[in-house]
Amino acid sequence: PFSVLGEIVVNEVNFVRKCIATDTSQYDLWGKLVCTNFKISFITDDPMPLQKFHYKNLLLGEHDVPLTCIEQIVTVNDTKRKQKVLGPNQKLKFNPTELIIYCKDFRIVRFRFDEAGPESAKKVCLAIAHYSQPTDLQLLFAFEYVGEIYHNPAKKVNGIDPGGGGSSGIGSASGQQTPLFETYSDWDREIKRTGASEWRVCSVNEGYMISTCLPEYFVVPSSLADQDLKLYSHSFIGRRMPLWSWNHPNGSALVRMANIKDVLQQRRIDQRICNAITRSHPLRSDVYKSDLDKCLPSIQEIQAAHVKLKQLCVNEPFEETEEKWLSSLENTHWLEYIRSFLKHSAELVYMMECKHVSVVLQEEEGRDLSCLAASLVQVMLDPYFRTIVGFQSLIQKEWVMAGYQFLDRCNHLKRSDKESPLFLMFLDCVWQLLEQYPAAFEFSEMYLTILYDSARISLFGTFLFNCPHQRVKESTEFAISKNIQLGDEKGLKFPCVWDWSLQFTSRDRLLFHNPLYVGKSAPCVQNGAVKTFKRSKKNYSSTLRGAPPALKNGIISEQEFLPRRNSLILKLKPDFLQQTESQSNSMEQYFRDWFAKPVDLHGVILPHVSGTQIKLWKLCYFRWVPEAQINHGGFIAAFHKVSLLADEVDTLNRNLRQYKSNSPLQGNCSELDQGRMYFRANGLNDTSGAPDFLSSSFPFSPVGNLCRRSILGTPLSKFLSGAKIWLSTETLANED
Amino acid sequence: MEHIRMPKVENVRLLDRLSSRKAALGTLYLTATHVIFVENVSETRKETWVLHSQISSIEKQATTATGCPLLIRCKNFQVIQLVIPQERDCHDVYISLIRLARPVKYEELYCFSFNPKLDKEERERGWKLVDLSEEYNRMGIPNDCWQMSDVNRDYGVCDSYPTEVYVPKSATAHIIVGSSKFRSRRRFPALSYYYKDNNASICRSSQPLSGFSARCLEDEQMLQAIRKANPGSDFIYVVDTRPKLNAMANRAAGKGYENEDNYSNIKFQFIGIENIHVMRNSLQKMLEVCEMKSPSMSDFLWGLENSGWLKHIKAIMDAGIFIAKAVAEEGVSVLVHCSDGWDRTAQVCSVASLLLDPYYRTVKGFMVLIEKDWVSFGHKFNHRYGNLDGDPKEISPVIDQFIECVWQLMEQFPCAFEFNERFLIHIQHHIYSCQFGNFLCNSQKERRELKIRERTYSLWAHLWKNRADYLNPLYRSEHSQTRGTLHPQMAPCNFLYKFWSGMYNRFEKGLHPRQSVTDYLMAVKEETQQLEEELEVLGERLANLQKLQSNDNKVKSKQQDRSKELGLSASNNSLANTPQEYSSELKSFPSRSPSQGDEEDSALILTQDNLKSSDPDLSANSDQESGVEDLSCRSPSGGGCLPSEDSGKDSDEAVCLA
Repeated sequence: PFSVLGEIVVNEVNFVRKCIATDTSQYDLWGKLVCTNFKISFITDDPMPLQKFHYKNLLLGEHDVPLTCIEQIVTVNDTKRKQKVLGPNQKLKFNPTELIIYCKDFRIVRFRFDEAGPESAKKVCLAIAHYSQPTDLQLLFAFEYVGEIYHNPAKKVNGIDPGGGGSSGIGSASGQQTPLFETYSDWDREIKRTGASEWRVCSVNEGYMISTCLPEYFVVPSSLADQDLKLYSHSFIGRRMPLWSWNHPNGSALVRMANIKDVLQQRRIDQRICNAITRSHPLRSDVYKSDLDKCLPSIQEIQAAHVKLKQLCVNEPFEETEEKWLSSLENTHWLEYIRSFLKHSAELVYMMECKHVSVVLQEEEGRDLSCLAASLVQVMLDPYFRTIVGFQSLIQKEWVMAGYQFLDRCNHLKRSDKESPLFLMFLDCVWQLLEQYPAAFEFSEMYLTILYDSARISLFGTFLFNCPHQRVKESTEFAISKNIQLGDEKGLKFPCVWDWSLQFTSRDRLLFHNPLYVGKSAPCVQNGAVKTFKRSKKNYSSTLRGAPPALKNGIISEQEFLPRRNSLILKLKPDFLQQTESQSNSMEQYFRDWFAKPVDLHGVILPHVSGTQIKLWKLCYFRWVPEAQINHGGFIAAFHKVSLLADEVDTLNRNLRQYKSNSPLQGNCSELDQGRMYFRANGLNDTSGAPDFLSSSFPFSPVGNLCRRSILGTPLSKFLSGAKIWLSTETLANED
Repeated sequence: MEHIRMPKVENVRLLDRLSSRKAALGTLYLTATHVIFVENVSETRKETWVLHSQISSIEKQATTATGCPLLIRCKNFQVIQLVIPQERDCHDVYISLIRLARPVKYEELYCFSFNPKLDKEERERGWKLVDLSEEYNRMGIPNDCWQMSDVNRDYGVCDSYPTEVYVPKSATAHIIVGSSKFRSRRRFPALSYYYKDNNASICRSSQPLSGFSARCLEDEQMLQAIRKANPGSDFIYVVDTRPKLNAMANRAAGKGYENEDNYSNIKFQFIGIENIHVMRNSLQKMLEVCEMKSPSMSDFLWGLENSGWLKHIKAIMDAGIFIAKAVAEEGVSVLVHCSDGWDRTAQVCSVASLLLDPYYRTVKGFMVLIEKDWVSFGHKFNHRYGNLDGDPKEISPVIDQFIECVWQLMEQFPCAFEFNERFLIHIQHHIYSCQFGNFLCNSQKERRELKIRERTYSLWAHLWKNRADYLNPLYRSEHSQTRGTLHPQMAPCNFLYKFWSGMYNRFEKGLHPRQSVTDYLMAVKEETQQLEEELEVLGERLANLQKLQSNDNKVKSKQQDRSKELGLSASNNSLANTPQEYSSELKSFPSRSPSQGDEEDSALILTQDNLKSSDPDLSANSDQESGVEDLSCRSPSGGGCLPSEDSGKDSDEAVCLA
């Protein structure tokens, strides 16, 4: 079971009981609790198949929790009525009778040691506390793993089952094709893909000579010379000069930028930058600046909302207060923040799409809210980012490379002051879009959930660091200390999250696919009627990747907005959007017109932001709660059925192609076994029912997790020996 | 019509609720049955039709410089804001509508003038579509323990009950009559649902006239008889769906609830569902939330919670779940009542039946269910939905709540129902529309006196005829969640957050996610069908070609095939990146052989029309009625709102009247 390379068992204890129900021990599981340097693992004595389906992570067993996923460890001794939150390197003066682990993914795991050796139980608890709260980045498991790989290059795939024959059949989700934006050429390709002809890749930061929190390569206006950039960079916080993100086919650019700290230079540099951006616009359009710090919730507010949401999802729905559930939900502000991100991003879409101006996202350091806003705008505007590879490249481009501080924000090292779940909020925003446009995305909500989980598996380098430079620096240090020869490489290469074969078999990866996404040939559905592409084209011609000239001629003249060349009057005003009545009216008009037209799923999509339309992402937040599980029901039932149909369509298409090519037996055999869908039709007109294991939590199973409320209705809080739920900010201190 | 003071007003503006700036200029017509607004824009001539019976309130607001605003709120949750240039006209329209919206005689209702041009036989067949004695047969009744009683044949025992009532065999006429005298409005315990698998049953009645201590031997015998009709169980549950306080208060008026000590072998249970007045206010509060222009998260969540609407829905569901569990899992029969046994009791019995029996989750079965638990057992449709002018305190969204319960179940079990959301929305619409006779009056007796079956048409026949529109593409009759009892999950995260905007905001076009999974599924289904057909055609052609080849092995035909093959592989490999590219790819789609090319092209394009044509009323005259069509063909989630006939065939007639 401990097959990951470099994984070693630190401590273990037998005769442990994993608690399930609150009022009876009859469902409890007996087994061995193991702490390794990667995860905590519970190995049941009877290999009873709790899950009737076989959807499993290759790195983790059913009862395993990666160490980086642990939020808090509480030890309890009920006879002595003592309890303690275990920090790193702490002593425990009592022998614990139980251990409660609160996980970052909203799971609660509870073990009892009634029959276990008291000393070994204590040792395991201390080991878990120690290993899950490392003092140094280099103590995270990924380093151990990578060290092993460099020492034993032959073992590269050893240890991890590559999963049923590599990545064939689901090539789009494999790591190979996702541009990582670590190289010059990835950026160059992105420039060409978006038609950003007036922009260039700049390599002044090669070797991180200018800024340690910028990528080595990034894109700047062609009119800015390297020399200027070097000069200006000193004025920006963190020397984070403007980074190009994306170009609209109409020439408007999306740019992100840190604040200018040098007050005296501020105006001058700002003008220079804006001028350069204007010059890179084919219409010489003005620049619209959006000060994200002013119009979006702060990272602290988002963190506070997340803590409250966690409380609500883990505990309160099952308290007596359920009548107040909606107001409790409101009180978290989580959905309100989701809404404000969607709303603001939609307004930025309007600026680029309709006003034809370049948008600059401005933020203190430009590496938090900007990541979210920049990515959301692109998901709405560019259908490429709604494919799996595109979405992954977006995360590489706007998060990993742009220096989103995954280490601090995910709090891998448990120094909680910098924690903030912006990445989760982004995934949640995307989920809202997916919910509103279920056929516009190549991926499923399972994919988003699994992606979120993957950020808390410390094997992957993708979400481990605060910026690319940190990876290079830390891993070089590590390499030296471990006598690893790096050669030409800049730092160690960590496994990449996008290499999904490390976690899932190729069959299981099929679940990432959204059966409703039919690529370009998707029939357009509007008002319950099916329109083939031909028809919808007639009604609605302004496809994003369509013909830009049409945009230029057709739409711009309708707007009162006349771009003034090289004018800075407009662009320096922060409240541009609310500037005049006519401005906001024209935006309102734009949204109204847009919503009145049939949606082109391969064009722009805009979110509905009315309070009635923002929803709670149940799969992500409630999947571990047995009481919230709808057996034989939930969205998955529809997903299953749609998958079968999509599979039938695929089969028919294949048959058609065979007939047409008059070679019924040639070439397509491999295609036939492969299918796009996780659930496959059993031949045409499949009438077999849905498998019994389908529940609203699928593919996750809350079975084996702690129930919140017993049949007798005892709320969890009373049951957990009085231990408060989610103590993250406080500490239990009744130990002597 | 004598009530129409002002048949036509020009230059009226219809405001868009979501944006104050956007208003349509047009002409307002008042007809005997409808209010019609026709936009001036000549190509579209968009029309908005509102049935008088749908109007729940009319509000004349203070005159402004632009005119006199008139606000019309409808029972199907549509809100119409008009601005009429002249105050005098506005007043006339207002006075006319006040009268038209509140008819005093049944004969004024639309169903008596509505004529779908069916002959007498068709009309009769329509009324026979739902047959309750057939339904009791389906349940397995009569049998050894249950029988049909004719004790109420002339409505002699209970005038709000049907003539055919099913009771335990051991309950003699004497017991029934005795029991009925001890029950409010003489609504004695009668069978609502029989669970064949284990003989447990759901019976319904009104509250007993027990006061503080009264007893009735026959009533006790009646309950005993119900218990005995289920040999597998030695007790029955008596479920009082009211809050305990309400039930206790009733004792002072000589009513109340069963005393466990007086009845042998009963287990008594309160399930606190609030009364019609609380529900009416709750809906009102929720609709205020719906009317907000762009509610923030907190407006919405606080508003929804404060309205208490979902809490009430949950109470009804909980009661239904309790009963379904008792019946299916414990095998215990249940007697359900509230005060009079025609509101909460109807809700709870029908929810329980729906949970227990997959038949009620089919199109036909759902009609039967409403006919059984609501229509036949004297749910007061006329009073509750204000069909005739009456006491506003009697009005309450009782069946609306049941319909929402069904929707909530559909949300949790998307494959378990044969019908879709549109079906529910159309039923809700017609409960208020009075276009069909089904929901007229307060009881079967009144309906018979009014000769509804001879003078009006049945909604069920109409819905059945158009059932293709109401099918849920996700439905699988063989599916595990389709068979057997449903076990909904009532944790707040699954339930308290489910706001049905498809119903309550269904006229707010801008508010809906316009792409539901169901829509897509219908598209995929369509595509599958097309491909299958194409496959068949190609198969035939292939066979023909082979025949041809073997008969006449000429070089020429071979060459042709070769070229086809080449064309195909090219188009398959190229990924279309734009609609233009896509359509060009379509053109090169090799299936379009000269012989059939045109036909296939049109088949592709026609898909929309194919779908629509299932409701022929809609596609007819679509140009004139584009507005109406627009509303009624909307996706299930968007909510098709106005069923066709409001606008369709009789429109000419209506306009002529004006």
